[in-house]
Amino acid sequence: MAEMAAGTGAAIEGQGRRKRRGTSLAGRRYLAATLLLLPAVALRLFTAFYPFVHTFYLALTNYNPAFPPAKFIGFGNLKRMAGDAGVTSSITFTILFVLISTLLELILGLAVGSLLNKQFKGRGIARAANLIPWAMPMVVCAIGFRWMFDGDYGIFPDLIWRVTGLRFPWLISFWGSRAAVIITNVWKSTPFLGLVFLAALQGVPAELYEAARVDGANAWQSFRSITLPLLLPQATTMGLFMLVWQLASFDLIFTMTGGGPGFATQVLAYNIYQAAFGGLNFGYASAISLALFAVVFVMGGLGLLIYRQVEVMY
Amino acid sequence: MPQIDVLSGAPRRLQRSGVRMPRWLSRALLYLGVLAFLAIILLPFYWILLSSITPKFKMFSIPPRYWPDQITFENYAKMAQTIPFTRYFGNSLVFAFGSSVVSVALAFLASYGLARVRFRGSNLVFMGFLISIAVPQVGTLVPLFEMFRIFHLINKPIGLITLMSSLLVPFTVWILVSFVQQVPVEIEEAASIDGARLPQILWYVVVPVVKPALATMMIINFIISWNELLYPLVFATDRLTKTLSVGLVELAVDPSMGAGRPWDLMSALSVTMIIPVLILVLGFQRLIISGLTRGAIKG
Repeated sequence: MAEMAAGTGAAIEGQGRRKRRGTSLAGRRYLAATLLLLPAVALRLFTAFYPFVHTFYLALTNYNPAFPPAKFIGFGNLKRMAGDAGVTSSITFTILFVLISTLLELILGLAVGSLLNKQFKGRGIARAANLIPWAMPMVVCAIGFRWMFDGDYGIFPDLIWRVTGLRFPWLISFWGSRAAVIITNVWKSTPFLGLVFLAALQGVPAELYEAARVDGANAWQSFRSITLPLLLPQATTMGLFMLVWQLASFDLIFTMTGGGPGFATQVLAYNIYQAAFGGLNFGYASAISLALFAVVFVMGGLGLLIYRQVEVMY
Repeated sequence: MPQIDVLSGAPRRLQRSGVRMPRWLSRALLYLGVLAFLAIILLPFYWILLSSITPKFKMFSIPPRYWPDQITFENYAKMAQTIPFTRYFGNSLVFAFGSSVVSVALAFLASYGLARVRFRGSNLVFMGFLISIAVPQVGTLVPLFEMFRIFHLINKPIGLITLMSSLLVPFTVWILVSFVQQVPVEIEEAASIDGARLPQILWYVVVPVVKPALATMMIINFIISWNELLYPLVFATDRLTKTLSVGLVELAVDPSMGAGRPWDLMSALSVTMIIPVLILVLGFQRLIISGLTRGAIKG
């Protein structure tokens, strides 16, 4: 016990040099690493890795906790999924939702970051306000935006009507509800990206912009030839992260639209929850989970390819 | 009068192609942009706040009211009577505080192991943490539910805190590793030569140095857990464990309410749920920003 307790990296180096015992040194180092990492690794193994693996088995059964004996049904769930309009439309919208959201968040995040990097009165307030959407619970955002998009009492339809004289049915139309959900998601996540881009921009020497200005570059030119190339590595990292992260979006859809109208705004995360805890079809829910894993794998893989490409370029 | 480049003698290319705005116009545009930004950021919060202090009979008016003309707190009183508000508030506090403490403690130990102890496979463990972020939370619910049923962890604060901490650990490790790497090794070496053991070095030497980073991650993780919906929704089904987020969602999707939603109660509960987070964000703005941008900037 006493031996292993001394096993911090620095401590080991020091004592090892004194005692000149190479093998026990390495042993102690591994023991220290194991003890330090064990709690966190064990937690991840039990609550992420094991459930992940177990899902593959459950997906092959018709397990329902209300009718216990689970029967092995092979690819029965897969066949059912192919014929389930709710799930197939979900796959399309999950991908659309994530791609459009990420793209808009990157563009608007860049705009917010550049804006907050400028010199103006009240910059501190603007930077503080930028944290509010990040800190607001998604549940509250979903409820607030649903109220704001409401056809009768909402502010958005009213404002649009005042300006254009048209009443656009947001939450009760197919594309309107999809747009509303994406707008809400982008509103909530853009400030976080703005924050990251702002931090990156603060690392860019001001002389660079000064030099460009002296050379007669306008705002767009200096953005294109200074800001954009310098932020590209961050942008791809964050893009990859948001792409994968948002595939698991659940709170927003569940609270704002409940997947409706019809199947319009259903995403895979919502289908999984409904199958599992609405219908107690644990086997079927696991099969949909596999579909979600597959989408994550493909999208994450494609994102990683782009990431590698950009890494090579810069 | 065309400007001539001193070195090449050619007219400056950018000067010709770039359209320069007068300074007052670019300032005006900048402030316009700032105002638009603030309006967009603050509007939803304002709208929810406005609804929460509007009497119910005035809430459903067409066209909607943009300014408060009659302020009331009856929505808040009614909300506290309709749902066990103080109970849920307490549950949320226990859940968020517990998850933030446990996740930061475990992530700190792990990140020290990864940053300081050199062993084969340390990179692999680090990558494992990061890749596990990609496993969608919702995709693991069914096996977790089975596991929790067997171990009687459903409706137990400890079960909820375990799950939430686990969700927070990878991101926290990612951030803390970079902080621990910055601690000068010399102080640890000095302590070890003085005969300090690993636990003592961790507690008396490393923790005091990385305290700001630990506090930052505790605040961030507290906010994320406070806002969390999915785990409490599935694993907290009685009033002893349900959190505010679950209470709010139940108002929002409760079928017994019919087609109309209790916007008065929902807006009041929303505002009360945001206030603690808002206090943390405005009070610890700098720390939060440093923590959130850490991982992205070095990477």
